[in-house]
Amino acid sequence: MNTHLNLLIGLAMGLNLIALGSSRLPSLILVVSAQGMLLGVMPLLLEHDWSWMLLAVVVATVGGKGLVIPALLRRAMRAANIERELEPLIGFVPSLLLGAGGMIAAVAFSQSLPLLPEHAGLLLVPGAMASILTGFILLIGRVKAISQVCGYLILENGIYLFGLLLIRSTPLMVEAGVLLDVTVGVFVIGIIVDRIQRAFDSLDTRKLTVLHE
Amino acid sequence: MIDALMLVAAGSMLTGMLSGRFAPRLWLVAMLAGQGTAFAAAVSVLAGGMPWEWRSAFHVGGESLHLRLDSLSAFFLVLLCVVGGAATVYSREYWTDRAHPRSAGTGRGWWSALVASLGLVLLVCNGLHFLIAWELFTLSAYFLVTLDRPRREVRAAGWLYLAASHAAVLALFAFFTLLAARTGSWELGPMRERAELAPLFWLALFGFSLKAGVFPFHVWLPSAHASAPSHVSAMLSGVTLKIGIYGLVRFSGWLPVPVGAGWVVAVLGVVSAVLGVAFALGQHDLKRLLAYHSVENIGIILIGLGFALVAVEQGDTVWGRLAFAGGLLHVWNHGLFKALLFLGAGSVLHATGTREMSQLGGLWRTMPWTAGLFALGAAAISGLPPLNGFVSEWLVFLGLFDATVTHGPTAWAAIPAAILLGVTGALALACFVKVCGVVFLGAPRSPAASRAHESGPAMRGSMLLLAGGCVVIGLAPVIFWPALDRVLGAWRPAWGGAIPPAPLLALGCFHMALAIAAGLAAWWLWRRANRIALTRVLTWDCGYKAPTARMQYTAGSFAGIITEWFDWILRPVRHDERSVAFFPARAKWTEHTPETVLEHVVAPIGDVAMRLSTAMRRLQHGRVQAYVFYVVIGLAVLACIILTGGRP
Repeated sequence: MNTHLNLLIGLAMGLNLIALGSSRLPSLILVVSAQGMLLGVMPLLLEHDWSWMLLAVVVATVGGKGLVIPALLRRAMRAANIERELEPLIGFVPSLLLGAGGMIAAVAFSQSLPLLPEHAGLLLVPGAMASILTGFILLIGRVKAISQVCGYLILENGIYLFGLLLIRSTPLMVEAGVLLDVTVGVFVIGIIVDRIQRAFDSLDTRKLTVLHE
Repeated sequence: MIDALMLVAAGSMLTGMLSGRFAPRLWLVAMLAGQGTAFAAAVSVLAGGMPWEWRSAFHVGGESLHLRLDSLSAFFLVLLCVVGGAATVYSREYWTDRAHPRSAGTGRGWWSALVASLGLVLLVCNGLHFLIAWELFTLSAYFLVTLDRPRREVRAAGWLYLAASHAAVLALFAFFTLLAARTGSWELGPMRERAELAPLFWLALFGFSLKAGVFPFHVWLPSAHASAPSHVSAMLSGVTLKIGIYGLVRFSGWLPVPVGAGWVVAVLGVVSAVLGVAFALGQHDLKRLLAYHSVENIGIILIGLGFALVAVEQGDTVWGRLAFAGGLLHVWNHGLFKALLFLGAGSVLHATGTREMSQLGGLWRTMPWTAGLFALGAAAISGLPPLNGFVSEWLVFLGLFDATVTHGPTAWAAIPAAILLGVTGALALACFVKVCGVVFLGAPRSPAASRAHESGPAMRGSMLLLAGGCVVIGLAPVIFWPALDRVLGAWRPAWGGAIPPAPLLALGCFHMALAIAAGLAAWWLWRRANRIALTRVLTWDCGYKAPTARMQYTAGSFAGIITEWFDWILRPVRHDERSVAFFPARAKWTEHTPETVLEHVVAPIGDVAMRLSTAMRRLQHGRVQAYVFYVVIGLAVLACIILTGGRP
């Protein structure tokens, strides 16, 4: 069971690197949606007795993270008619190096944490930290609003992975609540992106500095 | 009875505040009635000795209003009412609706607010209400200082005043909140036995001495007192500075005082006294000069208070009592003669339109009343017998002399303190000889000075009242001893109940004799002068055939020798344009004494703070990516702290 889970988490971490390396918006959105689906099925591997609640959450997560949100982003992208090229503040190679370094650091760091014995063999903690780091790198290093939303989603995925550690003690409804929050957040951002595009004819967040104070 | 008086006073003050803007006559009546009744209440407490207390049924800010008029409050309340009353009458003629249509009405309103809030500060017995009243009086004084707002220097002075006052308010907030936190209540009262409260005295000392204008903290004082209208300057200098002293006396009496605090206060006093008068000598602006003299006199008061605290620490009641009584009486005296001098300077300003001494001169002839009363005030502030300034300085001197007889460090400290106090008096005399000589004697230096006119009855009357106070305290100091004794008792219960010291009685007799002798001599000279036909010529003719006003000593040249001694701290700015050719065309010499502490200490610190904050502002630029980056850095730092032993 653990090997399957670790495989999935490893895949998710690989997707992190792809997200950092991708130079076009559609592929970034695709990576995010793939990662969301991967994470969505993880509860099935963690829980042994499947209840209808668990199934509902899994369906909702896969549907939300993997289908609805990416679809919203694509729609926003099309509606705002923005260029598909990403403009990085931190170049792709440095981002990849940072992400890889962060991943190694996360694995090394989690060795030193006092984890429960049943979690010690899992990649959950390093995976979570690597995702959070990746999300931050995307947030810091990308200019377009939609790519920042993607960074935010990957960050949220990392938090979700941490949450999986507590799946036995925390009801899944909490996870569902988080997911709902994220969906609404993305929905709002999608609308704002559209408005910004109409008002400023651009989605470059650097141009939003005139709004400060 | 005091209940009724206080009720009338409060009602009159309220009427004054409401009517100031629209009904000047009603305002004048209300203000005089309010201050008169408060004066009567304070005098009855000082004479009878029973403190008056009142506690409200309603709450203000969650605390019931607790007023208390004990002899210490009454002592300061008397000063407030006398100076406030005189300045109220004065302002009716000085700052009229006709001359200042924009600011006269609001000025009256703020004036009432100032007087009322000052009275409240003296009466409240609750830390929270003390802070509220304190803030009210600070703000109303600010609006009064900036009455003549269109002028740039007035706005700058007001801003400096506001900033400095709020530094003091900040310290007082810390003081009262810490006090309330440690005692568990905002109520104030005697708590001398709680030794753990002693360190709070340092906060109070900073806050109150900033308000009182003690030397290194006086930076706001000269410009504020010089730029305010003269009746406001009189009030600020005569009364509001004393509120700082009131705070120090009040809380050094109610709270335990840390070891060594008396020495600190005494050193602050000596430094303020000597350097205050040194700075005054370097000034060419009449009101600015008077403002520096306030620093000097606050220093004299603090010498008395500081040595009294030392005496408390050592258990020497006899000389401590004398020093404290001297400092306390100087509060009244300085309030009277400094208000008189500021009102006199206001008359000069009113008549000539300038405060620059280099533009004045020869006013004795056109303004005899103002000149005479100003000279009386000058003699009093210089500590000349038979006036009141000498009485209080004499008491402080007596205390210091008696301290030298004791053994130990006190004796060694009292000798230099007495010498420096003497130096201060001498320098103050030199400074006022300069002022009176340059402003009132000689020939007019400008057309404005030659067209000067005497001020009207309201202005003269209020100056006469203050001058009368100076003379009465000077001639009969003994009748004021019971009041001083009651305040001593309120400060340290063990210190009260003393008979008037013998030197004070002797001094009163000596002053009386001196005054009678001087009066007789003046009468004889007057008769002689009338009998022999005198011819009037120019003053300081010096043998010139046709002297001009420009040949007279200027203010700067008169004080030149003394200010050179203090060059190290005054740091005067001099522009020297000497004529070097064989046929000299023109030569020029200007000298200006800046506010050294402000320009060489406060301004550089402010510059560094501004530069740091400008640099910090660059971090806020509106780029979301960088803000996220700050969050990451913050998280990383927190993680580092937790991982490297920050865990409890």
